[in-house]
Amino acid sequence: MTGVEIGIASVILIVLLIYAGLYITVALGLVSFVGVWILRGDVEIAMSLLSLSVAGTVSHEVFATVPLFALMGLIVSQAGLGKDVYDVANHMFYKVAGGLGIATVAANAVFASITGSSIASASVFTRISVPEMRRFGYTARFSVGVVAGSSVLGMLIPPSALLIIYAIVTEQSVGHMFLAGIIPGVLLAVAYSVAILLMAYVAPKFVGGGDVGPGDEDWRDLTIRDVVSKLMPIVVLVLVVLGGIYGGVVTPVEAGAAGSLAALIIALVKRKMTWRGLWEVLVETGHITATILFLIVAASMYSRMIGMAGLPTLFGEWLTGQGYQLAAIMVLYVILVILLGTIIDPASIILIVVPLFLSAIEGFGSSLVWFGIITVVAAEIGLLTPPLGIACFVIKSTLRDPTISLKDIFIGAFPFAVIMLLVLIVLIAYPYLSLALI
Amino acid sequence: MAEPAPTGPAADQTERASRQRGALSTLLNGGVSSLNALGSVWIFFLMILVNCDAFGRTLFNNPVEGVIEIIELSIVGIVFLQLADATRVGRLTRSDGLLNFTLRRARPVGRALGLLWETLSIVFMGIVLWGSVVLLIGSVRNDEYVGADGVFTFPEWPVKAVIVIGCAATFLQFCVFAVRYIREQPDSTQAVADAMPTQTSEI
Repeated sequence: MTGVEIGIASVILIVLLIYAGLYITVALGLVSFVGVWILRGDVEIAMSLLSLSVAGTVSHEVFATVPLFALMGLIVSQAGLGKDVYDVANHMFYKVAGGLGIATVAANAVFASITGSSIASASVFTRISVPEMRRFGYTARFSVGVVAGSSVLGMLIPPSALLIIYAIVTEQSVGHMFLAGIIPGVLLAVAYSVAILLMAYVAPKFVGGGDVGPGDEDWRDLTIRDVVSKLMPIVVLVLVVLGGIYGGVVTPVEAGAAGSLAALIIALVKRKMTWRGLWEVLVETGHITATILFLIVAASMYSRMIGMAGLPTLFGEWLTGQGYQLAAIMVLYVILVILLGTIIDPASIILIVVPLFLSAIEGFGSSLVWFGIITVVAAEIGLLTPPLGIACFVIKSTLRDPTISLKDIFIGAFPFAVIMLLVLIVLIAYPYLSLALI
Repeated sequence: MAEPAPTGPAADQTERASRQRGALSTLLNGGVSSLNALGSVWIFFLMILVNCDAFGRTLFNNPVEGVIEIIELSIVGIVFLQLADATRVGRLTRSDGLLNFTLRRARPVGRALGLLWETLSIVFMGIVLWGSVVLLIGSVRNDEYVGADGVFTFPEWPVKAVIVIGCAATFLQFCVFAVRYIREQPDSTQAVADAMPTQTSEI
């Protein structure tokens, strides 16, 4: 077998092992170890490469963004800021057809600008938004579908764990990736809202709603003062995080730390943080950090292995040598990512697929920041699609309502997956949307 | 999760399983949880440290010495202190659709598959553990340190030792999982792990 054949065989083996249920980290690390061993014919080289990956990969300042933004997201979830912004959004939109759906999207978009995880968004808004929409006569499928669809905004609008991971893999600036996510995120939120409005008129049976409800909701009669006091903490946090990065005053690591501290102070002032709560948040942050960063350790082993096999270069040359245009390659790429996304989580997809395509995309002189946004949106479509749409699973387990099946959630989320795909096509066609703010 | 209590021989088996589970893994659980606690405190410390540096630098032109080095060491420390606990509660990312399906519908196949994956994980962590022991010995022998001479230096070996401890604990955790696939009758990957309820509560 030639080096390239070994590389290709390794990639296929990794995907098969992941499909069959092996831990993704172990699949990447172990196959890469064996791959390097075969490629170099020397187990010592494989050993030293592995231990260097383990000790060296995450030993870089930028990795601190992972625990710090995870910490911030968990603290704001605990502080009840999701409920506050949802109240304000409901107050603004409840008279419109499909209004509570639009409010959920809007609240998610704002909440996304202070948390970095779609999973957190999905679990928070399942609790606060689904019961409210059901009470107003929206169908179960539509209610959970809106929550699933809008939860993906969490990973697109900065701060975002996926944008951080992509920045690390491709050695782009985390700050640039964050800024690039803003317009696409807002675009997706607007597209969702327009679509909900259309659905409310075209398919009222699917949407439901129109029931005015009992009328004693605390969000119905908000004064300007209420609105300000509910939104103020979020505005402060957004300014700390994005303002600092955009103004160049602070690094992303410092923005994460300052954001966490500010969120903690807000939570304490609102009396929403106990010692026990803080402890749970820290433990959860630790689990997220260990899981993501150990995955990155294994992925760095993998990208060294395929680099050694000469796979990325050859794959890039092959793609361009076929006379494919960039557009054709992007279509191929998006289809591949979406297919993988049905089974594998977005972070792992980025770590597996991006190193393979990187040199081809660079060969076209395209922006890697733009490519990152495309990758994140394409990978996130998989959060909404069966058989393993993670956002839908989170909603199912948070809901604990036996009358709403996983199938209902997938059906409800389907229109939103389609809209994501349409927005993705627009983002591919107009790179300016991703690059305007940098 | 409140499961209806099984009766008859199945109940005996579950009870025996949990007793065995207790005997086998209480010690490891304690150790792994302590590592996790240490890592959690470390995250909080890291957050405060970065803030001190940022405020000190911008407001008083007085940054914390060696903060980059401390952050870099901290990340490695936090990851390996938390790794075993994340593994213990079943948080390591995997696509367990097929595995859970076979565990429910064709249990012997599912158990064999689950055991195979835990065994491969044991092999992988064994290799990583071996490699990190080699690094630890090297860092002690050569007196390796990070930082710039005369400004801020810190020896390498403590963080290398944390890597070894974390890898060893994770290795043992995978061994515990393998034993559970052999001794118990798990019907899902969650039943194998010491699963915690998902949190992030919004009240």
